[in-house]
Amino acid sequence: MFSAGLVMLAAGMLSFAAAPRKSLNYLYLLYAAAAAAAAFYAARALYTGAPAGAFSLVISPVLTMGFRGGPLQMFFLFALSVLSAFVSLYSVAYMRGSQTPRAHGVLYGLFIASMGAVFLSSDALSFLVSWEAMSLVSYFLVVSETESPGARKAGLTYATMTHVGTAFIIAAFMLAFSATGTLDFSGMAAGLAGKSVALKSAIFVLAFIGFGTKAGVVPLHIWLPRAHPAAPSNVSALMSGVMIKAGIYGIVLVCLGILGGNVAWWGVAVLVAGGLSSVLGVLYALMEHDLKRLLAYHSVENIGIILMGIGAAILFYSFGQTAFAGLALAAALYHTLNHAIFKSLLFLGAGSVANGAHTKNMEEMGGLMKRMPATGLFFLAGSVAICALPPFNGFVSEWLTFQALLLGSTMPLAYSKIIPLMGAAALALTGALAAACFVKAVGVSFLGLPRSRQAGAAKEAALPMTAAMGALAALCLLLGIAPGIVLALIKGIPFAGLSQMGIGNTGPVSIAGIVRGAALPFPIAGGFSSFWPAGIFMVLLAGSALMLVLTGAGGRKTCGPAWDCGIRELTPRMQYTATAFTKPLRIIFKTVYMPRKELRMSYRLKPFFVRGLAYHSDITPFFEKYIYEPFISLVGKAAMRTRNLQSGSLNLYLGYIMLTLIALLLIWA
Amino acid sequence: MPLIKRWIEVFPVTDFISIGMLLSVVAVVSIKRMEGCLRAYVINSWLLAGLMAAFAVWLSIPHLYIAAFFTIAGKCVLIPFFLRRIMRNLKIEPGAQSSYLNTPASLIISFALVVLVYSFISAGVFVAGAARNVLKISVSIILISLFMMITRKKAVSQVMGLLFMENGLFLAGFSLTYGMPTIIELGVLFDMLMGVMILGLFLTQIKKSFVSVDLDRLTSLKG
Repeated sequence: MFSAGLVMLAAGMLSFAAAPRKSLNYLYLLYAAAAAAAAFYAARALYTGAPAGAFSLVISPVLTMGFRGGPLQMFFLFALSVLSAFVSLYSVAYMRGSQTPRAHGVLYGLFIASMGAVFLSSDALSFLVSWEAMSLVSYFLVVSETESPGARKAGLTYATMTHVGTAFIIAAFMLAFSATGTLDFSGMAAGLAGKSVALKSAIFVLAFIGFGTKAGVVPLHIWLPRAHPAAPSNVSALMSGVMIKAGIYGIVLVCLGILGGNVAWWGVAVLVAGGLSSVLGVLYALMEHDLKRLLAYHSVENIGIILMGIGAAILFYSFGQTAFAGLALAAALYHTLNHAIFKSLLFLGAGSVANGAHTKNMEEMGGLMKRMPATGLFFLAGSVAICALPPFNGFVSEWLTFQALLLGSTMPLAYSKIIPLMGAAALALTGALAAACFVKAVGVSFLGLPRSRQAGAAKEAALPMTAAMGALAALCLLLGIAPGIVLALIKGIPFAGLSQMGIGNTGPVSIAGIVRGAALPFPIAGGFSSFWPAGIFMVLLAGSALMLVLTGAGGRKTCGPAWDCGIRELTPRMQYTATAFTKPLRIIFKTVYMPRKELRMSYRLKPFFVRGLAYHSDITPFFEKYIYEPFISLVGKAAMRTRNLQSGSLNLYLGYIMLTLIALLLIWA
Repeated sequence: MPLIKRWIEVFPVTDFISIGMLLSVVAVVSIKRMEGCLRAYVINSWLLAGLMAAFAVWLSIPHLYIAAFFTIAGKCVLIPFFLRRIMRNLKIEPGAQSSYLNTPASLIISFALVVLVYSFISAGVFVAGAARNVLKISVSIILISLFMMITRKKAVSQVMGLLFMENGLFLAGFSLTYGMPTIIELGVLFDMLMGVMILGLFLTQIKKSFVSVDLDRLTSLKG
């Protein structure tokens, strides 16, 4: 099944290079079929616990690239292929207006293949090669569809950040290699088992920075809000849905898999980074009025939520609480899959809106729910999921993360109690702010009157696009009411505690059930909580039905003009804008935002006759201004200084060579 | 043949020849005329070929004869021929060449370089036998010719320095390995030949663009 998928993927890429231009778009269906095959294969391997298949690519007698499909790998492969299937379906219609359909098609296939290779690599060499391939191909995808200088600049930021991250990852693997003498991941894990904590911590720090850059952890997140809006929407869906999860995969692989994950401060570091990312991500998202930038900041937020789960898992594991650690990791992985699904749904929705209304700025949208009903409905479903409201999938994983973080109160030491609880508080704040943010996103973009002429003339997206979004929305609902499906997928991943999850497909999820079978050294006050997602769904359905019955379905409906405060008619300009909606939050969080205001007046006759007023308000981009800009100017200054070495004289250059030679001679002797 | 082998051992022929090579390079540092440099290069190459032949006899490595033959053909005949033709075509005056340093200072520095190499490449670290002194000499030749490239102003003398340096590298190479595979030696020779031709082209271009082959004009290319 897997090889069938591979063959179809390769066939897709080849035919993109060869097929006649008219029929190019339908080739995305080939990718969709390939991805569906791979998804089926991964799901079957996870459910049946089939032994991991492996193969190596022999490059030279001493150099091989190994690939192996363990359960963790299969889980990420599953997320990748499920998404790719729907996104490819979406692309059939979405890429119709593409300027460079051939190149985009080939790159798109390569992108999926390289992400799959990242997840299946079993040694550092194949991992790094696939990782670089993934980064480079995604860079080209970001800059390929547009010729605006802004997109070029975004691409440059992205390429720089991802290469810095890769440098850290290479350093981490080289350190592990020098300590163990092997590039194979399982060999590294075995070799590092007896090594000092200082060495392992060094590897952890390097790997966390490297993978954190790809995942978008604050303050390494700056490429996300630039690259995602510049890329075509199907690419941003894959980038935000899967590619940044490759960073999560790397963190799980290195911290828990290779390093053993039993040092408490690693957990604290990951938890704190996750908490900061989630709160700051959602705060910055609130201030964005570009739909795709807003979604990009929400990716930062959700990566933070996932990292809080992973951090809690490492923390609990280091205290020997394997069952709690298993719960925390299960929550993190569950949220990984969930975020992949609802975030790609939202990006696809943003793409449909951008196609239909020809704008990405929310202040120019409005009234789209009537003009694009299907897109609006599915975008709403994705928004409810990302706000963690039942009965959608975001709720289940965030609830599990909550429970895991609250279990921190049973830990022995003060810091290990307080930090997870602070994480829980951060998660609560994040959830509330995310809800506010999506009230803004949906309310301003889809409700009310159109704020621009192009929004008024918006057209519903084509059938493949709405079908793909609908399928993803259905998946959100399914994973929200039957969490057992995902927990059964996660169960086989070899991490202490994960295998103890015995839950039916739609039955109640209880923490006791998840951690059942483990001896608890600490009595837990108040017992475990549990809930039954399918039950919630039924109650909601019943409630809605009851409301319909009580109010009379289709019965008394009165249509009349809305109250217009005595003004003749309501115009779109009177609506609540996105800026106005978030103003209270801008005031409350002004220490974070550091808002800037500027009023420019132009006069006909100063100071009595004012010609015009221009009011400009924005927030201080803290990380860019106080971390990146000083650093960049420092590098620039250093570069200007070293420029003096470049005199242009050939004799001087030869002199440098000679000095180097003599210095080497002296050192070598 | 056995008699010749004895002679090579009794009179340290290999050391003599390589010292001769070193002296010819030192001579070039003090020679200002282009024609003289070229002659010194021919002598240097003859000595290199002779050393190869001596090694071939002494250690009975037949393929070194081939290498020696091609060294003579390439470095003593073809390369000087091409260089002379380039100089004639470009009307480079064969007279005195300008240098950043005067002759005594250049000689003192080359002397210092030889001392440096002799004191820092300790004998027998990994080289034993016949090649012990040859390695030091070859490193000295490389450094002195590099030094020559640094101080001379004309592009032609940079080419000369490169050729001398290549002789030094060749010397080092075969004294350490007692002859690399013939194909590699031939490849290196061919490389040099091509190098000289390409440099000829470059010189023509430099002359065309800057009217002179003085390298200090190149600084105006800097961005």
